[in-house]
Amino acid sequence: MRQFKIFVAVVLAIILQANLQTIWDPLKFVNLPLIVVVYFALQRDMIEALIIGAVTGIAADAFSGSLLGAGGFAKTVVAFAIAFTASKVNIDNPLLRIPVLAGAVLVNESVQVGLNKLLGQSVNGPFIVRLANTVIATMVAGTVLLFVIEQFFSDKALLRRQFAQRRKLARRNVVNISRKNLRFGKRR
Amino acid sequence: MMLARTQLEMKQRAPWLLVGLLFLNIVLMGVDANRKGGGQIVRVFIQAVISPVQRVASAITGTIGGGLQGFSKARSAGTENEQLRQRVAQLEAEASDARLTKAENERLKALLDFKNSKQFETVPAQVISRDTTAWFNSVIINRGSSSGIKDGMPVVTPEGIVGRVIATSPWTSQIMLLTDERSAAGGVIGQLGTSESFGAIRGLGGDKGLIEMKYVSGLVPVNVGDVVTTTGQDRIYPPGLKIGEVIEVIQGSASTAHTIRIKPSARLNSLSEVAVLIYRAPEQPQMQQTLTEQEKVNR
Repeated sequence: MRQFKIFVAVVLAIILQANLQTIWDPLKFVNLPLIVVVYFALQRDMIEALIIGAVTGIAADAFSGSLLGAGGFAKTVVAFAIAFTASKVNIDNPLLRIPVLAGAVLVNESVQVGLNKLLGQSVNGPFIVRLANTVIATMVAGTVLLFVIEQFFSDKALLRRQFAQRRKLARRNVVNISRKNLRFGKRR
Repeated sequence: MMLARTQLEMKQRAPWLLVGLLFLNIVLMGVDANRKGGGQIVRVFIQAVISPVQRVASAITGTIGGGLQGFSKARSAGTENEQLRQRVAQLEAEASDARLTKAENERLKALLDFKNSKQFETVPAQVISRDTTAWFNSVIINRGSSSGIKDGMPVVTPEGIVGRVIATSPWTSQIMLLTDERSAAGGVIGQLGTSESFGAIRGLGGDKGLIEMKYVSGLVPVNVGDVVTTTGQDRIYPPGLKIGEVIEVIQGSASTAHTIRIKPSARLNSLSEVAVLIYRAPEQPQMQQTLTEQEKVNR
C-alpha cells in the first residue's frame, strides 16, 4: 500500500508539474517532483529516499528538454543529503523545512544545469534570476504542501488522531474511576 | 522495503545504492546525449507509459485555465461594455466592406490550401504537456511514430513555425520550441528570392519568448516590423514559412552584423493545437569526387 501511495505521489507531481504552466506561467518555477523527494527523504529511510529520488528525477527528465539522468542524478544527491542529515539531526519540523527546501532547490538546480552544460546542452537563462525564482517558488509551495500533508494525510496525523481519541477515553475513565474511589472512600 | 530496516542495514547498503544510482544516471545521460540510433529509448518509453494520464490532466488543466481566464475577463466586462457600444456602430459601417473582402479571401485560401496539400502532408496534434523544468522550452504532443512522425520533422501552427520534433514514442512526440536556446533555423527578412537579408535564427531562452537573428550583414536595411520567413537551407523547415516579426534592431555597420530580435508569430506560451509537417528536405547532389580528365592529364 505504501509503495502504491509513493507511485501515485510521484506520477501526480510530474503530471501537475507538466500542466500547471497552462494555468499560470510563473508556476513553472515550482518544482513539485523535488518537493515529493524532500518529503520522502525527511522520513529518514535512506534507501527508500534514494530510489524515489532517482526514479522521480528520471521521470521528470523524460518530460523535459534536459538530458535524461541529469535530474535523476541531482535528485538522488539531494535525497541522500537530506536523509543523511535527517538521521543525525531532527530537521522535520515546519520551521526547519524552509532552509531544507531552499538548500534542496539550490543543489538540485545547480547540479542539473551543471551536468547539462558539461555535456554540451545550453540552458535557458539568465541562470541567477531563474535559480532565485525557483528557490522562492519551491520554498513557498513546498512549505505549504508539506504542512498540509503533515496535518491531514501523513501517518503521524493518523496516529495523532488515534491518540487524541484514546486520550479522550482515558480522561473519561480516570474521572469515572476517581468518582468511584470517592464513593468507595465515603462508604469506608 | 516492506520490512523495517535497521539503522545498521541502511548504513551498510545506502552508500552502495547511492553509487549505483549515480552511475545509472550517468549512463542514461550518455545514452540520451547520443540522439542518433535509439539513444532515447528510455525517454520515449516513459513518455509512452505516462502519456494517457497526461492527456486527461491536460484536458482538466486546460478547462481550469480557460475558466480562470473567463472569470478575470468578466470582472472587466462592465467597463468594456460602454466602449464596445460605440465600437459596434463604427464596425457596422465597415462590415459591408468586410463581407466582400471575406469572399475574396476564402477563394484565395482555398487555392492556397490546395497548393499546400500538394507539397507535404500534415498531422494535426494537441499539446498535452509542457516542460517540467524552467531551463528548457519543450512540449509533448499526442501524436507519435504511429502517425508517421519522425525525429527532426518541423512543427507549425497557422500563425507560423513552432519548432521541431526531437523524440517520438508510438503515441507521443516531444517538440523543441523555437525559443529554446538550442533551437536554430535559417531565416530571411522578407521573401526568399527577393531579399538578401539572410541569417541564422537562434532561441534566446528568456522569459519574454523572443528569438534572435544573427549574421545579417550590417549593410542590408532592416526595420522594425519586417517579417522573417524560413529559407529551407537548414534542411529542417520548408522554405517560405513565417517565423515572426522584427521588434528590435541594433544597427550594424560594414564590419559588424545587425543585432535583431524577433517575436515569433506562433503563440508559443499558449500552444494548444499544432501540425507536424511530414517533410524531408530534398537530397543534396553528390559533390564530384573524381578528378576531371584535364586534371588527370596535368598530373
